[in-house]
Amino acid sequence: MVLEEAIPKFSQWIGPAFLWYLFAASLVAVIAAAAAWLVQSAVYGPLQAGDRVYRGILSGVQDLAGMAPRRIWALARLAIQEALRRNVLVVLALFAILVLFAGWFLDPTSVNPGKLYLGFILTATNFLVCMVTLILSVFSLPADFKAKAIQTVTTKPVRTGEVVLGRMLGFSVVGTALLAVMGAVGWGFVVRSVQHGHELTAEDVIEIRSEDGTVTGYEGRTSLDRGHRHRIELSADGSGRTDHIQGHRHEIEAVTSGGKTGYRLTPPLGLLEARKPLRGTLRFLDRQGQASAKGISVGAEWSYRQYIEGGKLAAAIWTFEGVNAADFPDGLPLEMLVRVFRTHKGNIEKGIAGSVRVRNPTSGLQSDPRYFTAKEFTIDEWKVPLALSTTTTDGGTKQVDLYRDIVSDGKVEIVLQCLEPGQYFGVAQADFYIRSGNGSFAWNYLKSCLGIWFSMLLVTALGVMFSTFLAGPVALLATLSVVLVGLFREFIQRLFESQVTGDSTIAPGGGPIESFYRLVTQTSITLDLEQSPFVAAMKGIDTVLMAPMRLGAAIFPSLSSLGTGDFVSSGFDIPFDLILAHSAETFGYLLAFFIIGALCLRAREVAS
Amino acid sequence: MAAQERSVRREHGEVIVEARNLAKTYRDFWGRSKKVALKPLDLEIRRGEIFGLLGPNGSGKTTTMKLLLGLIFPTSGEAFVFGKDATDVSKNERIGYLPEESYLYKFLDAEETLDFYGRLFDMPPDERKRRAAALIKRVGLERDRKRQLREYSKGMTRRIGVAQALINDPELVILDEPTSGLDPIGTREMKDLIIELREKGKTVIMSSHLLADVEDVCDRIAVLHQGELKELGRVDDLLRVTDVTQIRAKGLSAAATEEIREVLRRHGGEDVEIGNPRTTLEDLFLDVVRDTEARPGRRARQG
Repeated sequence: MVLEEAIPKFSQWIGPAFLWYLFAASLVAVIAAAAAWLVQSAVYGPLQAGDRVYRGILSGVQDLAGMAPRRIWALARLAIQEALRRNVLVVLALFAILVLFAGWFLDPTSVNPGKLYLGFILTATNFLVCMVTLILSVFSLPADFKAKAIQTVTTKPVRTGEVVLGRMLGFSVVGTALLAVMGAVGWGFVVRSVQHGHELTAEDVIEIRSEDGTVTGYEGRTSLDRGHRHRIELSADGSGRTDHIQGHRHEIEAVTSGGKTGYRLTPPLGLLEARKPLRGTLRFLDRQGQASAKGISVGAEWSYRQYIEGGKLAAAIWTFEGVNAADFPDGLPLEMLVRVFRTHKGNIEKGIAGSVRVRNPTSGLQSDPRYFTAKEFTIDEWKVPLALSTTTTDGGTKQVDLYRDIVSDGKVEIVLQCLEPGQYFGVAQADFYIRSGNGSFAWNYLKSCLGIWFSMLLVTALGVMFSTFLAGPVALLATLSVVLVGLFREFIQRLFESQVTGDSTIAPGGGPIESFYRLVTQTSITLDLEQSPFVAAMKGIDTVLMAPMRLGAAIFPSLSSLGTGDFVSSGFDIPFDLILAHSAETFGYLLAFFIIGALCLRAREVAS
Repeated sequence: MAAQERSVRREHGEVIVEARNLAKTYRDFWGRSKKVALKPLDLEIRRGEIFGLLGPNGSGKTTTMKLLLGLIFPTSGEAFVFGKDATDVSKNERIGYLPEESYLYKFLDAEETLDFYGRLFDMPPDERKRRAAALIKRVGLERDRKRQLREYSKGMTRRIGVAQALINDPELVILDEPTSGLDPIGTREMKDLIIELREKGKTVIMSSHLLADVEDVCDRIAVLHQGELKELGRVDDLLRVTDVTQIRAKGLSAAATEEIREVLRRHGGEDVEIGNPRTTLEDLFLDVVRDTEARPGRRARQG
């Protein structure tokens, strides 16, 4: 799973986030007031315009203070009735058809079917719920204006804030109901699709005997189910486990009944789970063994993973904190995802060898390496034992204790190296972690639906806000534009940084004008343009154009960042700190959209 | 202090609605004047009267009403209702409004409609239910109370529109073209309702271009034309032709009639005309309808 930035503690995040929110809200308020004054000045002159803007804001605030729950709920109920009248429930039939098609076309023999099914269901649910509430929210108020029904509402003691909040609330209730149904159906579909068992009988296994003829274990293959079968290795008592394929394995135990030995396999383990990782911080050593800020870039434009060279002193080192015997009494359950970049083919069947060691960050005492072969797209597991061996300076071997000798003040280092010259290991900070526990998958799935719910609330609120002053189709376009800018928020921020600093490696390709120029002249984004007055002018204009885009990207919500489906489909527990941060972010945006919508509707002539 | 006194006078005195230099000009996107809908208007409407805004289409009647309701904002001047600025929504607690065409939610039925508008007045459930039932009965929609408004005829829509305007038992009722599109029976019922409202002490403002309607029910009228106030006063005063004397009597013989004519001639009366007064077409039609309902199957009288 890609995790570009570490998830901060909510208590540390909320302070700076709140200050930034206040700053952004103040900025928007000042710009809006100035724009209103300018427009009014053109008609009434500067003094009267100032008075009008002041009175407008004052009466708007009074309106907000005078809102009544009963009126808000009445308008919300009306929105729900309107949605039902528009046959909104048809979308459930559409979802059912999608699920049926998914059942036919999604490949149950894929590398990780759990991830595939979950990814599909969560994406489809997110898209459908958001689209439905978006369409409902952008066309509702304009339809009321067109039919003039709004006149019979606003001639009652109804505050504009109530009209806006009622709509937001009503369509959110509709979206929530749709999400609940789709979420439940999706859950059932995923669980039923990936759950399976295998048969294993005494005839399927063969004994493994030692030289003296005693049975040391068994090996064999399970039955073919869901398009796959597992290799098994059992101990002499008949217990063991299958190999790890398609994102799961099964535990096996021998069962004797009526003098016959059979085997019982557990349901798949690792398919639908919620790992709770303890993550560390990553640093690199270069090929000379010197500290390096980054690993090696192997040329990919997206530099999420850094690479270390094989057969040299290059290493990737994770430092974990908060490691103690109370939490991990049996050792450290380390899980690793290592990507490979080959500069030559090598033995393609064998995989690339690497080593991993644990090290005391204070004394530098390190365990002997544990050798492994990188499995590329599969998470490798290694339980770091309590008793480790280490090589002494005189070449001897000494036993050390994990907690007494290696862990120092709760800190421990994990050192990864690639052993094959000319080959590279690629890693990101989130790729190595200590599994600190397992959350409930059901609860994790629910948390993921919560992420979709946040997105739905934002889309609904945005749609209603724009519909207070724009016609339905225009409000739809405006909402989609904001969502689109939000989706590319990080890219726009990097692009602006690249434009201002002149460092094209941050985001190659330049701003809108330069991009257009490159498109027309078919110039690659990685090629630097020749310096000329024309290019300088183009870049200058781009910098000016990028400023409002940067501002918009910083202010507009990013729906992609609210999505937590990747956590669930990759089998990671969604951190509670992240949920709290997302809920605070969503609430902040909802409040802002509500106030903007209420004030815009207040400033609008209902019957013009 | 003066403003406070004025406010007290508005609230406790006779004046319910006050417009001072109230004007409206519609502008285009660029702020250029597109249409002068209402030229500066001074107006006072007093408690308990039926006030008519009379004028042809496009004369500024509806614009005036919308300004008083705060649905549009004045270009200049100000309007006060119950002593509050017209844009202050709290004044709407005491107002009932029937638009020109009852702009209601067609997917609701009559009960749901009244319940919805009752909620907008923050009424508790029991009161909403009681008032909705009474109003549905009052406007004669008991049988159709469960039908969606999309299935209603124009007259039925108008009646549920009136009911929603009265859901809060308003002190001021604003009716925009209340008889528009109604048949003569519906028109009469509407006029009866307006008079009933006055008898209950309500203030009514209505607009119409139908002279007979205004004449029948209004105490005072304002005549607007091309956005300008042309006449303002009591209907009786405005319609009285002071230099013409009309004599109406019942049961006179031909000789007595000739004698009266002679007397008038002797005193310098010009264009002397004595004859049977005419009833209005509306009254004649209503008589026929009532007579037909009382005696079904009766053939029409031959002229």
